[in-house]
This record gives sequence, C-alpha cells and structure tokens, in this order.
Amino acid sequence: KKYIIVLPSPKTAATGRLLFTFKKWYYNACGFNKLGLVRDDTVYENTDVKEAIRRLPEPVYNDRMFRIRRALDLSMKHQILPKDQWTKYEEDVHYLQPYLKEVIRERKEKEEWQRK
Amino acid sequence: TPVFLSLFNLKRRLYVTQAARKAEVAEPFKFPPQEVQVTKLPSGLVIASLENYSPASRIGVLVRAGSRYETFDSLGVTHLLRLASGLTTKGASAFRICHGIEAVGGCLSVSTTRETMVYTVDCLRDHIDTVMEYLINVTTAPEFRPWEVSELTPRLKVDIAIAQQSPQIGVIENLHAAAYKNTLSNSLYCPDYMVGKITPDKMHTFVQNNFTSGRMALVGLGVDHAVLKQVGEQFLNIRSGTGTIGSKALFRGGELRSQTGGSLVHAAVVAESAAASSAEATAFGVLQHVLGAGPHIKRGTNSTSRLSQAISKATAQPFDASAFNATYSDTGLFGVYTISQADSARDVSHFHYAVLPLTQLKAEYLMSVENSEGLFDAIGTQALSEGTYHSPEAITQRIDAVSSNDVVNAAKKFMSGKKSMACSGNLVNTPFMDEI
Repeated sequence: KKYIIVLPSPKTAATGRLLFTFKKWYYNACGFNKLGLVRDDTVYENTDVKEAIRRLPEPVYNDRMFRIRRALDLSMKHQILPKDQWTKYEEDVHYLQPYLKEVIRERKEKEEWQRK
Repeated sequence: TPVFLSLFNLKRRLYVTQAARKAEVAEPFKFPPQEVQVTKLPSGLVIASLENYSPASRIGVLVRAGSRYETFDSLGVTHLLRLASGLTTKGASAFRICHGIEAVGGCLSVSTTRETMVYTVDCLRDHIDTVMEYLINVTTAPEFRPWEVSELTPRLKVDIAIAQQSPQIGVIENLHAAAYKNTLSNSLYCPDYMVGKITPDKMHTFVQNNFTSGRMALVGLGVDHAVLKQVGEQFLNIRSGTGTIGSKALFRGGELRSQTGGSLVHAAVVAESAAASSAEATAFGVLQHVLGAGPHIKRGTNSTSRLSQAISKATAQPFDASAFNATYSDTGLFGVYTISQADSARDVSHFHYAVLPLTQLKAEYLMSVENSEGLFDAIGTQALSEGTYHSPEAITQRIDAVSSNDVVNAAKKFMSGKKSMACSGNLVNTPFMDEI
C-alpha cells in the first residue's frame, strides 16, 4: 500500500492572493472572456472531450452552444462584447470537468482490463 | 539403455497403483443432505439458503417490486429496470460488471412477475464473492446515468416488438388489464407511449420506494447460510422499512377484444379465484390439473385433458385448451385459455368439467423443484411472501389434503363468479362475454 504524505505548504495569505491575482491576469489576457466564452467552451475536442460533451445535460449543452455561436458571430464581425458582458474570472464555472474526469476514468479502466 | 529405463518406469508405475489402491480403501467423505435454512433479520430481510453440494451456486435477490407497484405516471418502469440491471452502479461501472461476471463464467439475469423482481446470479462455487459484490451493487446502488438509460430505448423497443409477436402474451396482458382496476392490471411490458419517457428520476423513485429490506429476500443455493446472513446484514439494509404499501387488487371483470386478423383465435375466460395464502389456492391448482394444463407427453395429443375431451365433442377442427391459473398474494385468476380456428370459436367456448385424482399436481410440483431454477423459484417465492419455507413433503401433504369437495367448490366458484375475458385474432365468430 502507498502512503501519500501531504505537507502543508508554508503559504501566507499574501502568497495566496498573489497567485490569485496572477491567475486572474492570465485569464483576462487570454481574451476569450471578451467573446463571452467560458474556459470549458474552448477546450480542444479530442475523443474524450467529445464523449463528455455528449453526456452533458440538455440545459448545460444548450448554454454552451449559445455561447459558442455568439462568439463565432462576434469573430465574424471582428467585434467583441461590451465590457460589462465579459465573463469574469470568479464567475467561470468548469462545467465539463466532472464529465471529462469520468470519461477518462472509464477509458483507463477499459485499458487496464485489456492489458490483463 | 532402453531396457534399464523401462524397468525404472515400471517401478514408478507400480508405486502409483499402490498409492491409488490405498486411496480407494480410505473412507469416502460423507455429504449429509442439508435442510433449507431460513432466517428473518430485524430489518425485515428474509435470508434462505440450501447447501446442495452443487459445484455451481445460485444466489438471488427477490424484491416485492413487480409491475403491480408501478404508479400511474411511471408505467413501464419495471420493464426498464429489467433492462437496466447491467448499468453503472456506485461500486462498479457497467463495463466492470459485464466483464467481471464474464471473467468468472457467471451469469446475471433479471426476471419480473407482476409481484416480484428477481435478480439472479449463478457461477461456480469458488467465485461467489466476486459475483455477490456485483449483485449487491446492482440491487442496492444503481446510478441510472441519463446517457446510459437513454441507450436502453432501442432494447426496450425490441423487447416490446418480440412480445407483440406472441399472441399468448398479448392475451394474458389484456386479460389482466381487463380483469383488474389497478395494480395487477399494469402490464409487464412498457406501454408504447412511455417508451423514451421514463427518466432516471422515475427509476430512482421506484427503487427508493420499493427496494427496501422489508420487501426483499436473499436466497442462495450452494452457499453457506452464515455468509449470506453476513452479506444481508451488512449490505442489504440501505433502505429499511416496508416502502410504499401497494393497494389491494380490485377485480372488475371486464372484457378486451383485440382484432388482429389471421386464422386463429386466442381466448381466455377467467373468474376471480383465491389468494396464494388461502386454503382454496391448492384446490384451484388441483382443478387446473384436472381440467388439463398442457399435454403430459411432449408433442402428444393432450387427449387425457378433460377440457380437450369435452371440446372435441363440440368441434372437429384443431384446437388447444388448457386451464389457466394465476395466484397472487391477495387475489387470483382461474379460467380457461383456448386457441381455436376462427369459425369454431363459438363452439369451443361452451364446455363442461369432471373430477379426477390429484397425483398430476403433486408430480408437477415435485418435478419443478428437481432442477435448480425451479427449486430456487420455490424457495425464493415462499421466503418472500411468507418468510418461511415449506419442504416438498409439506406441499404434497397440502395437496393431499384437498378433497374432491374442495375441487368441486372451486369449480363452482369459477362457473358462478363474475367473469373476465380477453381474446385476440380473427374475432368474426367469437362470442362476447355475455353470450357465453
């Protein structure tokens, strides 16, 4: 059996805030929030991601489609959204991650089984 | 040299025969026949097991969650649950259940009656713990993921299409729909309008309300009783209590005709008989065999059946008739099922009866518990409905106790009771219920 020992990192409140500020700056610098997109809308669609998208519940899928369509329309017109409609870093929801994790876990299980 | 080597081998061979002879002389291990052991846990779960020294074991979970417990807005959920036994659960993914059971050479199957759902798993004795884990997962912690449930819809359609090919299934489903106002009128198959509309929420609600330990029985053949008891105490008490109480089945005696064309008519005429726990139930069983419940010789002419003899006087065309007897926990149906040519249907529906010995019913019961599926069914249904098990000797005594008076009374009850009828086929010449 493996024992994983987690040492608490000597993090002060200041370091935490610094990391958060950097992450927020990076998020805004990426620029997709100016088109109204969310991080999981932009993830590259390999087979795993495609399967995870297939499993999304219908309201979540419809919202994703709407955001992508709006972004395509804006990019065609070479425009961006007004500043008050940009997605904020704090409001970004990683909706696809649970489904993606499950898909990857199932694929790994299958591969593990085939190997035996 | 070759001669020297062969001498060597000869010595070794003689040694082996000496050792074999010694083993024969040793006392063979005795396998005393065991009795069925039944325990009822405080949570309401009934555990029954029989050590039959078979190399293959069979374990099952019987739940009082048949189609009679479906609510009006979730008709067909038991059909979908039947198909959903291999879906992902909290402890194992669908892939793992399928390949895990396959790897040990086991088999997981589900069957539903109007009153119970039976999840059975059978495998070699050594691999019991593996398959038991999957069985517990499937019965207590299914997840019903939306995408997996929607993948079941084509299988549902195939099931319904296969059922519609068989006129007998159609007639019996119609018979129950016509005879009862509620509960037992629910079909075993999903109605067409509900295909694709049964959501995982409905399935979860049904499981929450009906798969409680007070309504379950854990039965094992070829398993140790202590092991089963431990499993039952630890794992099968996730939902305790009795769940929603089903309502009493109300007999209404209606009629359903289904014109399908073709040359044959399948018709069933029944009246309400007795509940399974009452004394009359055995009398109805005897009456069923008296009247004729299928030929005793395969591909024979069924000439010993009283019904066949009576009907053959009325018509010369080919026909088949057998007594139909269905007993449920609080009610029962008894009557006659006939298959006849379209134009002789009217003659076939008038018949009379006589009384004969009870040996046929005893033989059929004893033969049905000879093989492991029959024995498993018998132990399971008794454990679930009554909480105990009656040995075949006790059952045969009960059959012996039925007097000819009882049987005549049962027959009178059938003839005078309010009838219900269902027929399908070419109904041009089939009489209505009030014309019989």
